[in-house]
Amino acid sequence: MQRLAPYLQVAPLTLILGVFLVVPVTMIVLVSFWSYDEFDIYPDLILDNYQWILTSPVTWSLYLKTLYYALVTWAITLLIGFTISWYLVFHVKNLIWQIGLFLLCTVPFWTSNVIRMISWIPFLGREGIFNQALMGAGLTGEPLEFLLFSDFAVILAYVHLFTLFMIVPIFNSMARIDPTLIEAAVDGGARPWQVVFEVVLPLCKTGIALGSIFVIALVMGDFVVVRTMSGGQSATVASAMMNEIALLQYPTAAAGATILLVVVTLMVAAILRVVDVRRELAG
Amino acid sequence: MADNDGSGRIEIQNVTKRFGSLLAVDDVSLEIPHGSYCCLLGPSGCGKTTILRMIAGHETPTSGAITIGGQDVGGLPPVRRGTALMFQSYALFPHLTVRDNVAFNLKMRGVAKEERASRADEMLALVHMTPFADRMPAQLSGGQQQRVALARALITNPRVLLLDEPLSALDEFLRLKMRSELKRLQADLGITFIHVTHTQPEAIALADLVVVMNQGIIEQAASARDVYAFPRSPYVARFMAGHNVLHGRLLASVAETHLLEGPTGARYRIPATAGTPRRTGEQVFFSVRRDLIRLTREETGGEAVENALQGTVEAVEYQGTYVKVTLAGASDEEFIVNEPEHAYFTHPVHRGDTVVASWGVEDVHLLEEDRAAGTKAAPYGEEAA
Repeated sequence: MQRLAPYLQVAPLTLILGVFLVVPVTMIVLVSFWSYDEFDIYPDLILDNYQWILTSPVTWSLYLKTLYYALVTWAITLLIGFTISWYLVFHVKNLIWQIGLFLLCTVPFWTSNVIRMISWIPFLGREGIFNQALMGAGLTGEPLEFLLFSDFAVILAYVHLFTLFMIVPIFNSMARIDPTLIEAAVDGGARPWQVVFEVVLPLCKTGIALGSIFVIALVMGDFVVVRTMSGGQSATVASAMMNEIALLQYPTAAAGATILLVVVTLMVAAILRVVDVRRELAG
Repeated sequence: MADNDGSGRIEIQNVTKRFGSLLAVDDVSLEIPHGSYCCLLGPSGCGKTTILRMIAGHETPTSGAITIGGQDVGGLPPVRRGTALMFQSYALFPHLTVRDNVAFNLKMRGVAKEERASRADEMLALVHMTPFADRMPAQLSGGQQQRVALARALITNPRVLLLDEPLSALDEFLRLKMRSELKRLQADLGITFIHVTHTQPEAIALADLVVVMNQGIIEQAASARDVYAFPRSPYVARFMAGHNVLHGRLLASVAETHLLEGPTGARYRIPATAGTPRRTGEQVFFSVRRDLIRLTREETGGEAVENALQGTVEAVEYQGTYVKVTLAGASDEEFIVNEPEHAYFTHPVHRGDTVVASWGVEDVHLLEEDRAAGTKAAPYGEEAA
C-alpha cells in the first residue's frame, strides 16, 4: 500500500492527460496517414495528405497570413497588457481598487465570444455608429471602408478577445516585484524608460512568456474570428481545416492539424528557450 | 548649481511632511556638517525614515527646504543630489548578477561594458565581495547582500550616503562587525553618512551627531556623549535607557538646592541651576544615571531620607560587567539600578528583597519638558549599552 500511494496520487492527472491529450492527438496523427474517398476514410499509411498540403501554395499563404495575425496581435496585446498591468500594480496602490479594476478587465468575458465579436459589426460597418459619428463630425466625407471585413477588423477582434490573457500573467508577475526595486533603480540614476527596460521588463519575463503562449496559440488555432470579421475575405490555417472537414476529407484535415501542432509547439519551444518559465515560477 | 559647494553638508529648514491627515515630520530644522556620521534615532513611526527619504529625493516635503552643499535640492532626482540610499531590504535586482547590480548606475550612464565591470570589481573589493561577483543575489546571505547594496550605493560617488536601518536584519555578531566596518568606511571616504536606526547602542557607537526623534519632532540633536549622559528631556532620558526619570513638585528652595516631593511622597534634593528660576509647586523632571545609584540592603525605617527610594527587587539580570536590578514600588515608573559586578556579588540581592536606592545631589541631571505632546514611557531602546 505504501508503495502504491505515489502512483495513486499521480493517477488523476495521468488519466486526464491521457484521455484529453494523448488519445486525441494520437488519433489525429494516425488519421493523418489514412486515405479517403468521397464517402469514407480508410486505415492506411500514406504520405499523400502531407504531400498535398505542403506542396500547395495556398498552405504557405495561409501560414503567412496566420503568422501575420499572430505577430501583430501579440505585439498589440503585449503593449496593452504591459501598460494596464503597470497601471494596476504601480499606480493603483489601494488593494481594493486594484482588485476592482482587475475584475473590470474581465467584464467583457461575462458574455460569449461570438457576441463580443459580432457587436463590432454594427459599430464598424459602412452605416455603423463609428462612420456615422466621423461623418457627422465632418472628419470624413464618406464612410471608411477598412473598418469592417478587413485585416484591421480581424486584428481588432483578436486584441479585444485575447488581451486579458496577456494582462493576467503579466499582472501576476509584476505584482510580485518589490516596489523598492524601482526606487533603487531611480536612486541608481535610471531614467523612467530605463526603469521599464532594465528592471520591470526583465522581471516580468515569465508573465510575458506565458501571455505570449496563450495569445499566439489562440490566434494560430482560430477560424471563427477571421471568418466573421473579414467577412470571408481572409482565412487562416484552421479555416482550411474546417473546409476540409466540411468536405469530409478528415485525413487531410488531420494532416493539417498535425503540421499546425508542430508549428505551434516549435513557437512555444522558442519562447520557452528565451524565458526559463519553470525556473522563474519556482523562484 | 552656482551655489553648490560640492560638499555633503545638509541643511534641513523647517521641513514638514504630511501623508494625508498624518503628520510624519513636524517643522524640523537640522544641520548636518560635511563628512560627519549622523544617526537619526527613534521608535518606528517617529519620522526618521521619512526625513531620510526626503533627503534622498524619494519623498517631497510638504513644506520647507533641504539643501545639500548649499544647493536647494527640491525637485532634483536622487543622482543629481549626490546622494545614494541603501535600502533596508537592500533592494538588489534579482535578475542581475552581483557585478551587474553594482555596475547598475554606470550602465544607466552609458559607461562601456569593460569599464563598468572593472569599476564594479573595485567596489566589490572594497566591501570584500570579490569572490561573489558572478553570483545572483538570491544565492547570498543577508550580510553578503548588504555588502553588495553598499557597493552599489558607493559606485555613484555620493557625497551623502543614506542608510535605512542597515543593521536591523543582521544577527548580533554580524551587526557588531558591520557596525565597525561602516564607521571605518565613513572615515576612509570622508563623506556624510546618515544612518536611520531604532537601537540606541548602535547610534551612540557610530554617530558624531545623534538626532533623537519622537512623533515627527527632534527631541535632541547632539554628540553621542551629550545625548547619553545629558539627555535634554524625559523622553530622551528614557529612550537612551541609561537613566531613571523622576519628577516631583517643588516644595522649597534652600541655599543652592531645591527640595521636591515625588508622587509617592519621596523627598528629592536637586541642584538649583542659575538662569532657571523656579516657582513653588512647579513640576520638575530630572534623571539619575542607573550606574550612579547605590543600593543598600537595610530599610530606611520609615524616616524621610532625601534622594533615597525604597523598593522591592523585581528582577535581577546579570550583564557581565554589571548587574541590572529592577526595583518595584520605588517610583511611579520603571526604576533600574546598574550595580558593578563585584559590588553586587559582595552583597547580592534577590527577587523580593527590600532595598534602598540612593544618590547624591551632584548626580542629579535636570530635564526640560518634552517637545512632543503626550509622551510617557518609551517602548524602545531597552537593550543596555
